[in-house]
Amino acid sequence: MKNVGVDGSTTLKVYESRGGYVAARKALAMDTNAVVEEVKKANLRGRGGAGFPAGVKWGFLPKDRTTTLLCVNADESEPPTFCNRVLMEHDPHQLIEGTIIAAYATRSQVAYIYMRGEFHEQFHVLQKAIDEAYEAGYLGKKVLGTDYALECYIHRGAGAYVCGEETGLIESLEGKRGQPRIKPPFPAIEGLFRRPTVVNNVETLSCLPHIMERGADWFTGIGPPHSAGPKLFCVSGPVNKPGCYEAAMDITVRELIERDDMGGGMLSGRKVKAVFPGGLSMGVLTVDELDMKMDFEDPRNYSLLGLGTAAAVVVDDATDIRLVLRNVARFYGTESCGQCTQCREGTSWMQRIAQRIESGAGRMEDLDLLLETARNMGMMPGLSICGLSDGATYPIETIVKKFRPELEAAIRSQPAGQVEAVLQAAN
Amino acid sequence: MAKIIIDNQELECREGMPVLRAALEAGWDIPHYCYHPGLSVAASCRLCLMEMKMPHPKTREMDWAPKLFPACQTPVRDGLEVRFNSDVVKTAQESCMEFFLLNHPLDCPVCDQAGECCLQDYSYKFGRAESRMVDPKVVNPKKDIGPHTLLYTDRCVTCTRCVRFTREIAGTGELCLVQRGSKNEIDVFPGRPLDNPMQGNVVDICPVGCLLDKDFLFKRRVWELTGTSSICPGCATGCSIRVDHADNRVYRLKPRYNPKVNDWWMCDEGRFGFKYTQDNARIIKPMLRRGREETSPSWREIPDIVRFRFQDHVRASSADKVVAVLSPFMATEEAWLLIRFIREVAPEAALAMGPVPVEGEPQAFPCAPPGAPSMPDVKFTILEEKCPNRRGIEQLLEVSGGTVLTFEAFSEQAAKGDFTAAWIVGGYPKPWVEKDTAKLGSKFGLLVVQDLFENKLTEAAAIVLPACAWVERDGSFVNAKGLAQPFERAISPPDGAMRDGQYLFEIAGFEGLYSGQRVRELMAEATASLTEVYEAPPIPAHAH
Ligand SMILES: Cc1cc2nc3c(=O)[nH]c(=O)nc-3n(C[C@H](O)[C@H](O)[C@H](O)COP(=O)(O)O)c2cc1C
Ligand code: SF4
Ligand code: SF4
Ligand code: FES
Repeated sequence: MKNVGVDGSTTLKVYESRGGYVAARKALAMDTNAVVEEVKKANLRGRGGAGFPAGVKWGFLPKDRTTTLLCVNADESEPPTFCNRVLMEHDPHQLIEGTIIAAYATRSQVAYIYMRGEFHEQFHVLQKAIDEAYEAGYLGKKVLGTDYALECYIHRGAGAYVCGEETGLIESLEGKRGQPRIKPPFPAIEGLFRRPTVVNNVETLSCLPHIMERGADWFTGIGPPHSAGPKLFCVSGPVNKPGCYEAAMDITVRELIERDDMGGGMLSGRKVKAVFPGGLSMGVLTVDELDMKMDFEDPRNYSLLGLGTAAAVVVDDATDIRLVLRNVARFYGTESCGQCTQCREGTSWMQRIAQRIESGAGRMEDLDLLLETARNMGMMPGLSICGLSDGATYPIETIVKKFRPELEAAIRSQPAGQVEAVLQAAN
Repeated sequence: MAKIIIDNQELECREGMPVLRAALEAGWDIPHYCYHPGLSVAASCRLCLMEMKMPHPKTREMDWAPKLFPACQTPVRDGLEVRFNSDVVKTAQESCMEFFLLNHPLDCPVCDQAGECCLQDYSYKFGRAESRMVDPKVVNPKKDIGPHTLLYTDRCVTCTRCVRFTREIAGTGELCLVQRGSKNEIDVFPGRPLDNPMQGNVVDICPVGCLLDKDFLFKRRVWELTGTSSICPGCATGCSIRVDHADNRVYRLKPRYNPKVNDWWMCDEGRFGFKYTQDNARIIKPMLRRGREETSPSWREIPDIVRFRFQDHVRASSADKVVAVLSPFMATEEAWLLIRFIREVAPEAALAMGPVPVEGEPQAFPCAPPGAPSMPDVKFTILEEKCPNRRGIEQLLEVSGGTVLTFEAFSEQAAKGDFTAAWIVGGYPKPWVEKDTAKLGSKFGLLVVQDLFENKLTEAAAIVLPACAWVERDGSFVNAKGLAQPFERAISPPDGAMRDGQYLFEIAGFEGLYSGQRVRELMAEATASLTEVYEAPPIPAHAH
């Protein structure tokens, strides 16, 4: 985030004056395989949610391919996540430079930036930067005066969460209904327009200029070995300084909330009750679990799915956990694309149960029913086509498991006859 | 061929085919909705999940992977080992069935699909007994989506078979999936109803009672229907079909899988084309005419009457003045019997075939978008030749020898009065006697007409014999590609009528009961080349 906050950071002039496009020049002077090797060595793990090593992903591309396409995943629609937005809004040229490096390394001829539809300003900022880059010869027929040609387009989404899933994104880019594809074939073999395709997140690509400029060793020197390099973290909720902060991945959730140069502690009079540390889909932490490290491995020790988008949203003690449950369930209920039975029906069932619990008509057995539904949606990999289904089960499961006493107390305190009355009225 | 192991049993099957298909064809009963062998793989219903052995990532030892795989999306390869009979798979099936039923209205008592519904069958076999859902169901609307089809979206399991059919087979793409999550539903585009010549198939492949045939709606419970194997007479493609009937009435036609002809499909023209068979205007009684006097002899008398009248006639004039005009709607066996009779009483009799109805151009599917060149991979063709057995009759005429005339030549010679006695077979579903043909009625001293409906020829005939519809007959048709295929009798002829095959059998001098098979045996002695028929292989009921 070195350029964020600098005057005129979105312009080519300022970007160049601060060392911009030097890395791209360096990369283009290298052999493409050498660039891939360097990124592999840096162990750059994907910042889009799954944490898959970028260099390894590029290595899946067939050796004898003639065309390759690069998709930049700028759909950023995981709730409380806005790291990509900051990068595009304040440092668009860094993303373009990263895109050039990735495209060169994968021998891509075209890069499509799939941008979340709600990003209006960011679209204009990025489009202007792309225009500048074309003008200056960083994009186009002769990138940096070499024989390498790269076209770059922005495609704007229409507001579906599932279009951030890489194959949903590809379908949507092709003009189809945005729903994830079955794999195999994986995108690296047959992706966009049936061509070998690489999908990478905005932040992943934004790391590339730094890796090329300062070397893989510099990158792996930051943070723990399995979670190398700087990472952006979002903090939101009732904290003093909600925002996006850069740090190594050895930081804990507590530090993120409390450090003066980050969240700056809770608003006065509020206490932490729960934290979703990786976007909604990874699950929830209680106030006793704030020492979790924000890296790619530690969340597993807290029954979470993973690091996710590293966007922590804090829930304070004034918030009814039933409301949280309802909000979470509603999100997945409306965002499931609906092709897989377990996800389509499971998310919608959980939504209806959560809604009823929130309205004060919960039944004790609803809690087990929620857990079992979650298990039936994700008891084993392979139950659904994409990760949305798992992403829906983790938060529900962890809320019910970790906040069960509070939920039970709330249900117990409902006036007698409430459940029957509500069910009768509804059915 | 590859060897695979399913549930500890070894199975040999074709490399590359989906494990699901291999298992189904070998008799496994595996629940599945989205998979259809004629369509692309969606693998979205997640009902056919199985466990699979994979090398352990560290030890490389083969063991059950901690993952479920859709059997429809997993190709067969040698050495593969999978299982469906584990607890994990059964739990997955059970929970999946519970999910399917959550929003289903459970209106089986008023649903046409009841009795042939995969949702009913699977729930019974793989599901749990009661619903644990107490919350209101998501209710989606009922929609009228086209001239033949209704869509009850609340019964939909979102398998998208119908969508894929309109895109991949019909090529018309009218159907789509709209909305997300449990609100999603099948729909048509505004102002673009489901209206293509193949649309009836979407009702067949819909595994539940969501897509419904207006023509069949609320007519009959399906378990009261009996299905009889038949061949569609609508065009020279000759699709394998099943005639569903009850109480001697046909209720609907369904395609029957035939890899050599129609795969799983049939066209709407054929599907809804049986209505003429129920027309009250059909001729149902034999009739004798002497001057103005009309009588209706009993069937017992018919063989003798016909034979004597022809023999008399030949004696009075001459054998080369006799002609028989066969119809491309006749079964090969029936035509053979008629030829045998005519050539017996008048060895020099001429033979001809009636007009071959042609309408428009052949239609290939998937159809190409307007203005685009035709699609390379044709999945189905509706032919312009609207009759089932031109080739069969032609082959018979060829082997019969003697004087064989085209219909034009026959008409010309008959108009000049070259023939004194004629037997003309109609059997066309649509009026077929053109002005010129009508005039021929008065040109013969003896005219026998065998037809479905009255027309100028039957009015002029001395003997009128009712023709029966193909659902009332049995025999074989030879399609445009030269494939001879048998069809069975589904129902009896209307009261008073007799199957054409039966009376022709008797008139030709045979005793007992007519059957296509029996006549093929008789034909084999004379003309072996005509007696080989191809019967589409039966497939297990649950394998599609
Ligand atoms: C439901 C769902 C939504 C997703 N949304 C996004 C998203 O908005 N942005 C993103 O970069 N990745 C998203 N992903 C992850 C992508 O599928 C993919 O892993 C990622 O774009 C790969 O880029 P990376 O390797 O650079 O992280 C989503 C995944 C799922 C299952
Ligand atoms: S898991 Fe859910 S969102 Fe993902 S493809 Fe299946 S139905 Fe769609
Ligand atoms: S209408 Fe029938 S065929 Fe179409 S998606 Fe629904 S259940 Fe499947
Ligand atoms: S997932 Fe295999 S039949 Fe639907």
